[in-house]
Amino acid sequence: MLNFSKEQIKIKIGDMSMGGQPGESPTVLFGTVFYGKKYIDHSPEAMEEIDGFIATQEELSQMTGNPGICDIFIGSEEQIETRLSFVLDRVPENRPICVDVPESELRAKVLDHAGEIGVSKRLIYNSLNLGLEEMEKEALAANPPGCAIVLGYNPKNMSTDGRMEILENGAGLLDQGLLDIAKEANIPNMIIDTGATPFDHNTAETIRSIPVMKNKWGLPAGCAIHNTVESWLWMKDYRKTHREAYLTCDVGANALPVMMGADYCVYGPMRNAGQIFPFIAMVDKFIAEGGEDYFGIEIPENHPKRRLK
Amino acid sequence: MYPWRGEYTIGNPNSSVSIVTLASIIDFPEEKVAIWGHMKTENLGIEKVVANVISNPNIRILILCGEEVRGHRSGHSLLSLHSKGIDDNGRISGAKGAVPFIENIDEEAIERFRQQIEIVNMIDITDKVEIMKVVEEQLAIDHEPFGEPYIVELVDNKNGDRPSVKRLTGKIGFHKDLILDPFLELEQMPVEES
Repeated sequence: MLNFSKEQIKIKIGDMSMGGQPGESPTVLFGTVFYGKKYIDHSPEAMEEIDGFIATQEELSQMTGNPGICDIFIGSEEQIETRLSFVLDRVPENRPICVDVPESELRAKVLDHAGEIGVSKRLIYNSLNLGLEEMEKEALAANPPGCAIVLGYNPKNMSTDGRMEILENGAGLLDQGLLDIAKEANIPNMIIDTGATPFDHNTAETIRSIPVMKNKWGLPAGCAIHNTVESWLWMKDYRKTHREAYLTCDVGANALPVMMGADYCVYGPMRNAGQIFPFIAMVDKFIAEGGEDYFGIEIPENHPKRRLK
Repeated sequence: MYPWRGEYTIGNPNSSVSIVTLASIIDFPEEKVAIWGHMKTENLGIEKVVANVISNPNIRILILCGEEVRGHRSGHSLLSLHSKGIDDNGRISGAKGAVPFIENIDEEAIERFRQQIEIVNMIDITDKVEIMKVVEEQLAIDHEPFGEPYIVELVDNKNGDRPSVKRLTGKIGFHKDLILDPFLELEQMPVEES
């Protein structure tokens, strides 16, 4: 539906393409694995479950054309090797993998390990953010990942302008903007995460930021809007007796950023792949038709618009 | 009575004990505990705990228990806030969490929290019996109330006052850098190259 005056950068990592004008590429869908207590000790049952999730996501990805990326949650050093090798053994060999690591020191260790096993170029780094520390900077310089998700979370100012500031100049919290830090580390590809916030914390700015940032920098952008739904206080109670209503909101929320031009969604637990892939494929069909009919966008053959008649 | 909304249960307002259960959900006897609930994030979650706890001067003890929040390290971040405070940028000194920044409560409130509250560190302990043993031990101690309630007002819209309504003739406003023009002919659309 939208078309940006700023030229839109399209990135390609392995067999995954992302970005461009709305409709040019199917929305990339990141499903998270290994997040949760039951996966901590890597029990055979838990691993079997994840094996099934990855297979289902891949099958849906092939069917719809929406690239499915494994977002691997890593919460401790001991988990790095097991989790990376488990996923790498199960996804196509030219498919990027995403590492979702909340702690700076641990992110540095993940980068080192990825360098050692030779998968840095396949790595989507989630995320380069305000929590960055010196050790992480050094690790980034030594083993730059193929792509960094750059997080526009600014606790001082959650408006769109505030989110842009942290990316552009560090908002007084960092010496330089996160985009420059990524460039200096020679990270070849960057994608923006506008940083989902809970309701009553400038939530809508998460969505507003997407077209504004895309029109400013031309970089692929998206967010993990399921986090807003997950933190919705009223829903926390309601979902106890109305699980289907929660799932509807959880999945449906992803239409908001995509309609505003988002190139990817981090959709939460990969167990929801069965709901999210057909849903986003449908949204992509709307967007692609709008782009093709009005702006003359060329829709690729692998797009849900072409695959799912 | 507590000024900030959140996922907590209110018990006995005269009790000196509050409990943060981090990623775990545990219930406690209402007559013994002033307020309890889980706390997921190392920024907004901590702000809610601090603002609510200091609003009740009877609360002198915060039992920090339950499973640590993976990645966020919210429990560790709260301990760091209590022991070291924040730096000039609002970052919790020494915190290892993902984005440990405090923005909605000022240093005076944080200082009040540090003085009013003693934290009992039981991170990763989820056994209710064990936690209740500590609750009973604390209730047996005569904790004096800490002066008057300290109320931190929650400002929902961090951008300050509600902006005046702006209407743009013939255009659709989205953001100051992104005004949509429904009447623009496609041929007139400017294209900028990177």
